[in-house]
Amino acid sequence: MSSGPLGPRGAQSLPGRPESGASLADILERVLDKGIVIAGDIQINLLDIELLTIKLRLLIASVDKAREMGINWWEGDPTLQRVDDQEGVENGNTKQLEEENRELRERLDRLERLIGEGGGGG
Amino acid sequence: MEAEPDGLWAYCVARDDAALAEGGPGVHPGDELTWLRDGGLALLVSRVPLAEFGEEPLRRNLNDFAWLERVARAHEAAIAAAFQAAPVVPLRLATIFAGEDGARRMLEERREALAGALDLLAGREEWSVKLLIDRELGSAPAPEEATAEVGSGTDYLMRRREERRRRAEADDRAAGLAEDVHAHVQEVAVAARVLPAQNRELSGLEGDMVLNGAYLVERDRAADLRALVAALEEREQGHGARIALAGPFPPYSFVPEAA
Repeated sequence: MSSGPLGPRGAQSLPGRPESGASLADILERVLDKGIVIAGDIQINLLDIELLTIKLRLLIASVDKAREMGINWWEGDPTLQRVDDQEGVENGNTKQLEEENRELRERLDRLERLIGEGGGGG
Repeated sequence: MEAEPDGLWAYCVARDDAALAEGGPGVHPGDELTWLRDGGLALLVSRVPLAEFGEEPLRRNLNDFAWLERVARAHEAAIAAAFQAAPVVPLRLATIFAGEDGARRMLEERREALAGALDLLAGREEWSVKLLIDRELGSAPAPEEATAEVGSGTDYLMRRREERRRRAEADDRAAGLAEDVHAHVQEVAVAARVLPAQNRELSGLEGDMVLNGAYLVERDRAADLRALVAALEEREQGHGARIALAGPFPPYSFVPEAA
């Protein structure tokens, strides 16, 4: 085994391929969120990428929660198809989901209180 | 009608003295990867038509998910290929120059910081360790009560309370396990970062992702990492937990801020 910093790599592991094919989540996580930011000559408003990252992150954070609640509008749809055909997930669906979530929780709490006060009648 | 000019899409920076491979596909089909060398550094670039990658079209395209996926994968693959041969500092998606002059100017201006980052990252690789929990397997199964008949309000409340308690227990256990795995892996790493959990549709992984860790590991410790993860996985077998190890990758998560 070489001890040099540029010693031959991949001697015992397959060169190139990580053990599992990289998922889209992994790829986007790397290329959108990381790597150094250098202002090129083409001034794409960095905000545009920022915005996209936020959209993705919101989806990433909200999917499991939403599914727990039985909300699954995206299922059967090609992955994240909705990201691009919406004005903005952050002020569209996610807000709406959060709102619905909050309302449902409140209703449930009210119901539980009612049932509790009723002393188990029914 | 005159053809739109081309721009230069940049991927990553390496040292000019490293064994750098030319060629390979870039983000625009037909335009190959090439190294732009300047003052000891080399910038991996490929030509891109500004009709597709210029300011206005780019803004549109970045929000077209199919386009984004294709370009993101190509960008990542080019950096991964370069990383096979030499340490690299990856650039974020969509770093585009109007021509060679701008790219050279950037290398000149940031030479010191980039060289410093390359030194720091030499001989080190990024690995991903994800912990996935299957809640159904990980906790005691829910007692299957006769739910057909409508129970009393008290029954309902008790069931909900029990359910909540079980879920809280499972959450605690998952969080503890995530912490434990992270602490163990950190021991073989020179740096670590915990990233937000990924969405299941995008990751294609089953179960709840309770740890999404990125670890910077010396190349000669990769075997230790594999052995450690195998041992942890064996320990957790049958508890509904699974560890997904992936790597090695270019050190995306560990590029110094100053670069």
